[in-house]
Amino acid sequence: MLEARDLTVTVNGNTLLRQVDAAARPGHVTVLIGPNGAGKSTLLRVLSGELAPSSGQALLDGRPLAAVPAAELARRRAVVPQASVLTFPFTALEVAMLGITVPGFEASNAAAARSALEALEAVAMAPLADRLYVHLSGGERQRVHIARALCQLAAPPSHADFTRCFLLDEPTSNLDLAHQTLVLDALRRQAARGLAVLAVMHDLNLAAALADDMVLLVRGEVAARGSPAEVLRDELLSAAYGCQVAANRVPDGGRPYVLPPAAFLQRPTPVLSRPRGGNGADLSATGHPTQ
Amino acid sequence: MTAVLPIDTSVRDAGRAAGGGQLIALAAVALAVAAFMSLSIGSTGITLTALPRVVGALLTGASDAAVAREQLVLLDIRLPRMLLGAFVGSALAVSGAMMQGLFRNPLADPTLVGVSSGAALAAVATIALGNGLASPWIKTFGVYALPVSAFAGGVATTFILVAIVSRQGQLAVGTLLLAGIALGALSTALTGLIAFASDDRELRDLTLWMLGSLSGASWPKVLAIVPFALAVALVLPRLIRSLNGLLLGEAEAFHLGIDVERTKYLIILTTAAAVGAAVAVAGVVGFVGIVVPHLIRLIAGPDHRVVLPAGALLGGALVLIADVLARMLLRPAELPLGVVMAIIGAPVFLHMVVKRGAGGV
Amino acid sequence: MRALRAGAHLIWMLASALGTAPVSIVPAHGADVVVTDAGGRSVRIADASRILAIGGDVTEIIYALGAEARLVGVDSTSQFPLEALKQKKNVGYMRALSTEGVISVNATVILASERSGPPEVVKTLKTTSVPYVEVPDDHSAAGIARKVRLIALALGAQAEGERVVRQVEADFAVLAERTGQIKRPVRALFVLAVQNGRAVVGGQGTSADAILRLAGAENVAASVTGFRPLPDEAIVELAPEVIVAMPRSGGNNAHDVEQLFQLKGIGSTPAGASRRLVMMDGLYLLGFGPRAPAAARELMERLYPAPAGPNGTGARK
Repeated sequence: MLEARDLTVTVNGNTLLRQVDAAARPGHVTVLIGPNGAGKSTLLRVLSGELAPSSGQALLDGRPLAAVPAAELARRRAVVPQASVLTFPFTALEVAMLGITVPGFEASNAAAARSALEALEAVAMAPLADRLYVHLSGGERQRVHIARALCQLAAPPSHADFTRCFLLDEPTSNLDLAHQTLVLDALRRQAARGLAVLAVMHDLNLAAALADDMVLLVRGEVAARGSPAEVLRDELLSAAYGCQVAANRVPDGGRPYVLPPAAFLQRPTPVLSRPRGGNGADLSATGHPTQ
Repeated sequence: MTAVLPIDTSVRDAGRAAGGGQLIALAAVALAVAAFMSLSIGSTGITLTALPRVVGALLTGASDAAVAREQLVLLDIRLPRMLLGAFVGSALAVSGAMMQGLFRNPLADPTLVGVSSGAALAAVATIALGNGLASPWIKTFGVYALPVSAFAGGVATTFILVAIVSRQGQLAVGTLLLAGIALGALSTALTGLIAFASDDRELRDLTLWMLGSLSGASWPKVLAIVPFALAVALVLPRLIRSLNGLLLGEAEAFHLGIDVERTKYLIILTTAAAVGAAVAVAGVVGFVGIVVPHLIRLIAGPDHRVVLPAGALLGGALVLIADVLARMLLRPAELPLGVVMAIIGAPVFLHMVVKRGAGGV
Repeated sequence: MRALRAGAHLIWMLASALGTAPVSIVPAHGADVVVTDAGGRSVRIADASRILAIGGDVTEIIYALGAEARLVGVDSTSQFPLEALKQKKNVGYMRALSTEGVISVNATVILASERSGPPEVVKTLKTTSVPYVEVPDDHSAAGIARKVRLIALALGAQAEGERVVRQVEADFAVLAERTGQIKRPVRALFVLAVQNGRAVVGGQGTSADAILRLAGAENVAASVTGFRPLPDEAIVELAPEVIVAMPRSGGNNAHDVEQLFQLKGIGSTPAGASRRLVMMDGLYLLGFGPRAPAAARELMERLYPAPAGPNGTGARK
């Protein structure tokens, strides 16, 4: 389990997070929502080990993140950033393959390329595998980074009992409907594998479609916590976002509304026996969504 | 699960002109050819066909004036020159690649951490103060006073820079860049001041040194750079994976398990040692650090598993070929190496800049 | 013949005692000569049939000795006589020599000014089997004698060498007599070049300073050492009455003159006000080869153009 306990983060005199308690459990998807500046990305950065808390603790399976060396941490969690600047002529496949630079996971070039290509397939980027990253659109780049993280997580775990985590910051912000669905499905499959998935999301409908647990952050504090039904309530959201928010209501006057396809997806049932491929990768994590 | 298409990993090479392994092999051949040319071509017209005679004379101890001359040219002039040239080219090329990885910018240059300007300042001071403050220094080191000064100046400047910029063991790359530029400007100003106070002859010597040349190549210099070449060769393979990850960004590299601070320090120190030694033995030679890594990325991509070895080989080849031109174009006189390098490198660099502006990489 | 040789030998010994250089002589059998060069090294020359000269003054001396037929290579500063660079191989700038380049000329003896460089190349050249003789860099009347004698000895042309030295010394003696009659030395400033809008002047210890003094002038820049750029105010303070400069080879003389006087510093001096300028060739003036006395005399005549000769005062304007 990945936990934040009584976490406070102060940078340059600004308190970004105040006594936050949050957790991402293995096998579940936890989504952080909230208005801009609420501290969602900051919380994610602390839980990825990138930022040290000013007080309180960030723990992975009970162990403080700061005490885990970077190399070991990389075998146990993957992070997809909100934005990434890359000015070098990597192809999409090569960027995905960088996920295999995780120390300790020595793969041959061929095995690495295969793993990367599978990951790209999962996000429908396989046809663009040879395209230069700098020539990709924002949404395509985002999917490449997701593929890279999937590649990193495809490495066999260093220890069967350790929790593995998948942290994402706005993974769907640049994507169109079909690709949003694809990505959310990939995230759910990772959770089904037993990973703890923690994502920051802006889009409340997508968040509702994806999340098992939700945490609403407002101005650095936890305003609400629970299942989507418990958190997505008019009064909570209106107070948090500072405007009138109506949940679960059809618009007046017959105005149309669109639910993302992800809203209709069923959650995949956890697989009882897990077939494994030649490189130890969990093959149940590839392929297309089950129906 | 639907059928998965057979995965063809050779597909990934379609976007590249050559695979990494092919390019490394090609670069090795280029270096071998350049080394051969460097040994076999010269204003005396002596070629490697004289080598058997020379070796024979060395073994038997018997020699005449003609063979002695061939021996001098091949073994005491061209061979150390070839070794130094190969080292200088390799060192500058891999340092360039490392700097570009550190600053995540393909146009970054090994001089950005102040090594070259610091080395130049030390060299200028030695030349200008040769008859005054620096004369005990020169007496101690004799002919090697200048290279020793240059090296010491380069490494010292880098250390000062790192000391200024690092905070609690962390190195902020943006600050490093700005501080490097500032320190470089300071060194240039001090150099100018010394040049202003120099007389005409000293000024000429300064100018010539700044233009870069391998004409002072000698066996003691070759021996002097061996520890640096070895140190760099040992460190580089360990840096490959870190450099690749670093290109994504520091946070991303950390997420991939890379020790980012250690990598940054290692890059800077290795660059300081490599460039400091290169500048010490050959003066200021530009363009290799930018042009060679760029060409390699253009052909085979930015993976440092290719860029570093191919860069080392190709950098060495480039400098050797430039040196042959420097020695032969105006024979028996000699052009400064830096000038020939600039003539070759500037158009290529311009092309890079223009292409980048038009959206290319 | 032997008497002549002995007599010449005696004269050489006397002459070298008068000169400042410890040029030692070993009575030679055949063509072998041993000289002590400017660096104090003992150099044995067995064959002086192919000469490489490095330094404009060295080349001039070789031509003056009549040995130019044996000259196979010169450096880029050997600009007099004009045939030198045209007919002989050019090994480049004397402070940027190429080891293999020098060797490729296949000289049997190398006569190189002390100023040659870079140091590592000179060091290597001294280790080859080709004798390398360092010629002193000395701008004085006695210095010229040293240079000529050393080169003459190395080339086995001692008789011609003495002739040249005698002529030089005689010319300098005549010059000294004339300059001795100058009542008031003219205040002169030597401008080597204009760099970034600043004049590079010849201070104390330079060849420019030496030639000015030989010509009976006062070097106003004697307070600085070496050839240095000076700021405008400093030049105004020096207040030279006449500027001595060198034309650029192939340059537009009239334009250069204009440029010079347009510099604020120079323009505000007495020299600038009266536009008094003496332009003479650089190697001629500063080389301190055999033409030096002639150069000094010509400079003197142009600095003191009094119709009655220099037994009057220096021209004052």
